[in-house]
Amino acid sequence: MWRSSASFILDKHLNNKPISITHSIDSPPPPSASMADENPNPNPNPISAYYETRAAHHGIVTSEWLEQAQAAVRRYPDHDDSVSPVSGRPFSVIEEFNSWRQQPDLAEAVAAIRALAAVIRSSEATTMMELEIELKKASDTLKAWDTTSISLTAGCDLFMRYVTRTSALEFEDFNSAKSRVLGRAEKFGEISCKARRIIAILSQDFIFDGCTILVHGFSRVVFEILKTSAQNKKLFRVLCTEGRPDKTGVLLAKELAKLDIPVKLLIDSAVAYSMDEVDMVFVGADGVVESGGIINMMGTYQIALVAHSMNKPVYVAAESYKFARLYPLDQKDLEPALRPIDFNVPVPPKVEVERSARDYTPPQYLTLLFTDLGVLTPSVVSDELIQLYL
Amino acid sequence: MPDVQSMVAEFVNKLRKRKIEGSQATAKCTVELLRSVISHQRVPHANQAAALIDAVKAVGQQLVAANPVELAVGNVVRRVLHIIREEDLSLTTAAMAGLDLLDASDDDDIDNCKGIGYPAMSAAVVAAAARSTLRPPSLQTLLEGTPESATVPYTSSSGADSESKTADKSSLTRKLKHDVIEGVNQLIHEISGCHEQIAEQAIEHIHQNEVILTLGSSRTVLEFLCAAKEKKRSFRVFVAEGAPRYQGHLLAKELVARGLQTTVITDSAVFAMISRVNMVIIGAHAVMANGGVIGPVGVNMAALAAKKHAVPFVVLAGSHKLCPLYPHNPEVLLNELRSPSELLDFGEFSDCLDFGAGSGSLQVVNPTFDYVPPNLVSLFITDTGGHNPSYMYRLIADYYSADDLVM
Repeated sequence: MWRSSASFILDKHLNNKPISITHSIDSPPPPSASMADENPNPNPNPISAYYETRAAHHGIVTSEWLEQAQAAVRRYPDHDDSVSPVSGRPFSVIEEFNSWRQQPDLAEAVAAIRALAAVIRSSEATTMMELEIELKKASDTLKAWDTTSISLTAGCDLFMRYVTRTSALEFEDFNSAKSRVLGRAEKFGEISCKARRIIAILSQDFIFDGCTILVHGFSRVVFEILKTSAQNKKLFRVLCTEGRPDKTGVLLAKELAKLDIPVKLLIDSAVAYSMDEVDMVFVGADGVVESGGIINMMGTYQIALVAHSMNKPVYVAAESYKFARLYPLDQKDLEPALRPIDFNVPVPPKVEVERSARDYTPPQYLTLLFTDLGVLTPSVVSDELIQLYL
Repeated sequence: MPDVQSMVAEFVNKLRKRKIEGSQATAKCTVELLRSVISHQRVPHANQAAALIDAVKAVGQQLVAANPVELAVGNVVRRVLHIIREEDLSLTTAAMAGLDLLDASDDDDIDNCKGIGYPAMSAAVVAAAARSTLRPPSLQTLLEGTPESATVPYTSSSGADSESKTADKSSLTRKLKHDVIEGVNQLIHEISGCHEQIAEQAIEHIHQNEVILTLGSSRTVLEFLCAAKEKKRSFRVFVAEGAPRYQGHLLAKELVARGLQTTVITDSAVFAMISRVNMVIIGAHAVMANGGVIGPVGVNMAALAAKKHAVPFVVLAGSHKLCPLYPHNPEVLLNELRSPSELLDFGEFSDCLDFGAGSGSLQVVNPTFDYVPPNLVSLFITDTGGHNPSYMYRLIADYYSADDLVM
């Protein structure tokens, strides 16, 4: 009875707004002229840009590519200069963000913060307040451009809070304050990589010899965890779900096979069938919400339910900058993020397709969260967010 | 110094032979030992806190290795390390505030600071950065990065050459040790007084004409129940005997001596009697970071029974029992197997137990502890008050520093 749910009202509201970008595919695309004024996103296609990028990453990412990308990232100062507006075009934070986002090893939040750092670098403000206002505008632009990406929003918010608070700590002159903020923003890429390594170290104790791990989706953090365990000569087995429609399971299986980890591929429906031979479930997260639940690739909620009913622990590996100030009450309470789904056979036009790319897993189905702040229970998340924002 | 070493060796021996029983006694002895270690430790003028921390850590590692199952030892070592770091920090911020005043009058010191390559930051920034090293990592400090400035106060204070500053320096040395020992004394006082603090809260939880179930014997539970009795609440107590040591019998005798109506039942009868019980109260051996409880064997059964019949399951634990570790495999790693003679007398079943003959296949296992997962616990009562199992991480963040978790 979708009419009786609270999110029905939200859907109706969205359907009524003609200029809204996230309506269903049946209504015709609005005239681009008025849209360009309202919304800087030039893409009238209601496909989530975030998931499109992830799909692009999945298409090309292999371990060799990852190493090359990491090496490229370390040389970024040279890259940055080439991106600055030499051609006389006005500086666009979205172009900057997109150029960073294309790199497959970089987390969303890192790309966002690098884009904001570029804003600072090219800004002509002379006081902290001016700089903050510019940053706020740039951050709002980025957030409006892709409303579905949670780590983008969280990364922008985190950076804004940091800038506002740093300026409050009486720096004696503007230039040193600006260079300090810029320095920290550029260091954020390192912080992100360090975060992944810390998470990998923290989770080592939980993986014992002879265990079977079920993994869903291709999370770079979870991959780092498994890689570190293999390097520490632990003997374990991984079951990968296929992860339709992204084919993440096949890619992950390929990568794990290269590390000599025994892998077994399952179709998504075979999870309950295999759950009794599983010792623990590891998933990443696109975002961690205030209740302690997570937003992750479609299928995570299902797996968490099955694991909970069979008393298997579900461990989430997420960096702390993914904590977002959202509190979804049910599955439809999020910004809809849609993906194209290919069924390999033509679908009749009368038939609707559920194209959402992600779901929300409530905190009672999660056992522990591995973050760079330590191993946490889901109730810690709201505490951290309160400390940061209030 | 040599007598400290011999004290440590003696204590390690006692721990290894399990001569000290009970987490409170172990915790107190450990803290007193660490106090002697600290007071005998000679500290250099610069970086005294690091020297103290290293000394305590070295002793702590030996103690934990001697009895890894007694988690109170590790907890208390970490508490002492946290005290050292805290006192050091408060002294540094006081010194910085003092330096700030002196800097204002002394121009060449500001140049001195700048000469080290230290950006022009006020003392408030440095103090905030130094404080962030002490707090557990959080979202707020994520972007702040490593505060290298925390080590600068040491060099700037040792590089100063005014008379008043050198006098400050040597008084700083003595002050740190003095403050740390004061903090440690407070810790000892807290550990000794935990029973009274917990018992004070009894009146809020035990009401008139209630039936309480407990398992085994815990001094905390005894004090708790007696405190409620003092305040004129009349209630009954069911005591599960706690095989194979039958310590429930001792508890029952004590309770009757204090005038409480007591009933003794076997451990197997817990499920049968649980529907008549209003509340289950047990004492914990240790509380883990996720809110899980390590208690005497049989506690998990009582917790499951309580959950099934919606009976509140209350755990009493002093703050020295709070452990910052997560239980990955508590049944195996945090359990201790005692002598099977508690179950079977020597001589009984000796023909089955005779391995030499090749026909022996009887094994006797006597685990001491049981693990209760956090979702079965309703309330923790510690000396700071009553808490949810999901709140445990907060107390851990207050009592311990993140750097000390792995020793």
